[in-house]
Amino acid sequence: MKFSLFLGCNIPARVQQYESSARAVLAELGIEIIDNPKFKCCGNPIRNTDKQTFILMAARNLALAEQQGQNMMVLCKCCFGALKNAAFLLAKNTLILENVNTFLSKENLSYTGKVEVKHFLSVLYHEIGIDAIKQKIREPVAEIKIATHYGCHALRPSEVTQFDNPVAPVIFDELVRVTGAKSIEWPLKLECCGAPLLGVNDDLSIEITKKKIAAGIQAGANYLCAACPYCQMQFDHVQQIMSSDPDSKQHLSSIIYPRLLEQAMGIGKTQYEG
Amino acid sequence: MLYNIALFVALTVCGAGLLYKINGWFRLNIDIPSVKIAIPPSPRIRTALKGLLTTLFSAKLSSIVKVFFKDILLQLHILKEDFVRWLMHMLIFYGFMFLFLTHALDKIIVTSIFDKYYLRLNPFLLAAGMMVLAGIAISVLRRFVFRVQRLKTTSKDYYALIILALIILSGMAMELTKLTSYQHYQLFWNIHILTIFLGLALVPFSKMFHIFSTPLSMFANAVMDENSEPANIKTRQMMELDACTSCGTCSNRCSVTVAFDSIGNQMILPSERMAFLKDYFANKNIGAKGLVAIQQGIYLCTNCDRCTVSCPARINLRDLWFNVREEIIQKKTANPLVLTPFSYYRGLQRSRLNRKWYDQPAIKVQKKITRPYTLIDQRDQVIPITSEKQVSGNDAGMSDGAGTYSFCFACENCSTVCPVVGSFDDPQQQIDMLPHQIMRAMGFGIKDLAMGSRMLWHCLTCYQCQEHCPQGVKVTDILYELKRLSAKEVTPMVQRSDNTFNA
Repeated sequence: MKFSLFLGCNIPARVQQYESSARAVLAELGIEIIDNPKFKCCGNPIRNTDKQTFILMAARNLALAEQQGQNMMVLCKCCFGALKNAAFLLAKNTLILENVNTFLSKENLSYTGKVEVKHFLSVLYHEIGIDAIKQKIREPVAEIKIATHYGCHALRPSEVTQFDNPVAPVIFDELVRVTGAKSIEWPLKLECCGAPLLGVNDDLSIEITKKKIAAGIQAGANYLCAACPYCQMQFDHVQQIMSSDPDSKQHLSSIIYPRLLEQAMGIGKTQYEG
Repeated sequence: MLYNIALFVALTVCGAGLLYKINGWFRLNIDIPSVKIAIPPSPRIRTALKGLLTTLFSAKLSSIVKVFFKDILLQLHILKEDFVRWLMHMLIFYGFMFLFLTHALDKIIVTSIFDKYYLRLNPFLLAAGMMVLAGIAISVLRRFVFRVQRLKTTSKDYYALIILALIILSGMAMELTKLTSYQHYQLFWNIHILTIFLGLALVPFSKMFHIFSTPLSMFANAVMDENSEPANIKTRQMMELDACTSCGTCSNRCSVTVAFDSIGNQMILPSERMAFLKDYFANKNIGAKGLVAIQQGIYLCTNCDRCTVSCPARINLRDLWFNVREEIIQKKTANPLVLTPFSYYRGLQRSRLNRKWYDQPAIKVQKKITRPYTLIDQRDQVIPITSEKQVSGNDAGMSDGAGTYSFCFACENCSTVCPVVGSFDDPQQQIDMLPHQIMRAMGFGIKDLAMGSRMLWHCLTCYQCQEHCPQGVKVTDILYELKRLSAKEVTPMVQRSDNTFNA
């Protein structure tokens, strides 16, 4: 099975461990990865202010994958959401599609809607399957309690993203369970990490993240688990702020999912405490 | 005699020019009001010399030696980017260096090694000349025939190519006519000497200045990081502006070039921004339109680091953008991009910034965006049903889910599940309107209430509201559209119309 890997902007610059671990587990599971150095920003950051530019940015990446003849695997959930939203719109609106293709033709690209966009977790769950992953688990992670964080732009709007059941999703929990860890139930599992407002309204953004961390601790989690660079950076950032506050005794780190899987497969080097 | 005077004049102009440019590195300044550390008042030259001395007598010297071999003698960074370009640069660099050392300085260098050095027709000179010409030919092909993407040719590039070609061609003609025609030889000698003196005098003011500034900036970057002396960082960053040769590599790699293709604002391309900044820091004079453009350009950046990683001059663009951005966004024009995820990196780096200034850009643009919508502050106002300030789905450019707001029956599900609303004790005090109220305001066509609400710019875009709407109202998408509409009203000149995309 082959996929064109879409990394986005944040992973190569700030969350490299997500990429290296994802590559390691995908290689172990026999997935072939095709890189495309021409991929650029997915368009998500400009969605707030400029629709035309957003669609063009997303469509160019979709067209590049189509040119390679591959489906796309996306690691970042914001990139995933942006690409899915653009593809959804382009499938419904032929006039926009025409405009987009006129634009893309300058680079000898075109988009017809053939390419499928999948998030990394969906590839693991649907394309590879829990049973196949189970066979590769050599060192099950001992009884760690994990609070899964699903990530908004993968889950919603479900009509567009088609990721999982938007109110009772299971993919991520099952992927955590297969590593031997325990996936706990907790109330804020499907809530936003707070990242979109960091730099815009820091107090609100951090407040929202703190709420999640507190809820995870209260539910008895040892770790949060994310599969998106924004969520991961946000948890790390806020955790750092909380740790430097002497009054705050709470501590709940986040693991980026493929690190956990890598560990359970016996190919990772990092040790996690139970 | 005349020769000596001309040489003296050329050397003087060149020397004075170099001093002027180097002085600029210490004189010119990025004003970064929001960066915490104040620059010590002692002159930057003293700090730089101190840094230089401590570096030369430390283990960091090995980094300098490494850079000298890897990036200056072998130019591996250009090779990694593009073989043809590397070949071009190496041909010109080594051809010219050979000529400079064995021919221009022959009395100083060559004759001191070979005391009876004289060749009637020097094949080495001709070979080196051919090397430079081949390099120039590749450059011309890249620029004018193959038209390498994002490689822009300005008057500075024309000048550099022409002066180099003239020096080499006249020199080769001179060498070839030496034995046959004294008259021709004399003519070519004159051209050769004149172009060389002209080229020499103009080194500090032309693209050729990069033979000094680029290696120096490479050395400085090899031994400095973000914790280095702030005064020295400022000096280095001014040097970096001169180290840029406008090769366009960064603009080719840049993650947001599509935004330039879509919007047409040159300042989005990093190499264009570098050219702009050189002028800007020399006189700090930009018109209102220029300010809006540079604000958009410098903020429309995902901080993906690709420019920094790929720059053949090894300029630390990441930190340069960081500091320049702080100066530019504190200026009075409001920039809606500050209210979007483009701010994420700046948010992560908040501890490097002064809190007093940090919040200002967001506060400023928030005020400017909501200012036209006065109704939002007059809560007791009676609103006429047929308001003139209506907003329709069409105005808001709602292509996807257009008009679904009219299905809203105010069940308040959206506001109940909204994590932002849930974060405030009195949300209406903090964000004016809740999501369901915005949907109803849209239904009534009351533009002021829909667009003036601070809720829009507090939206996390988590899509909880849209997912939970029993009526299928595309709440989040509508909030997105309203944001775009108000952003466009704040900075119309750098927002191309969305019209073609709203069908």
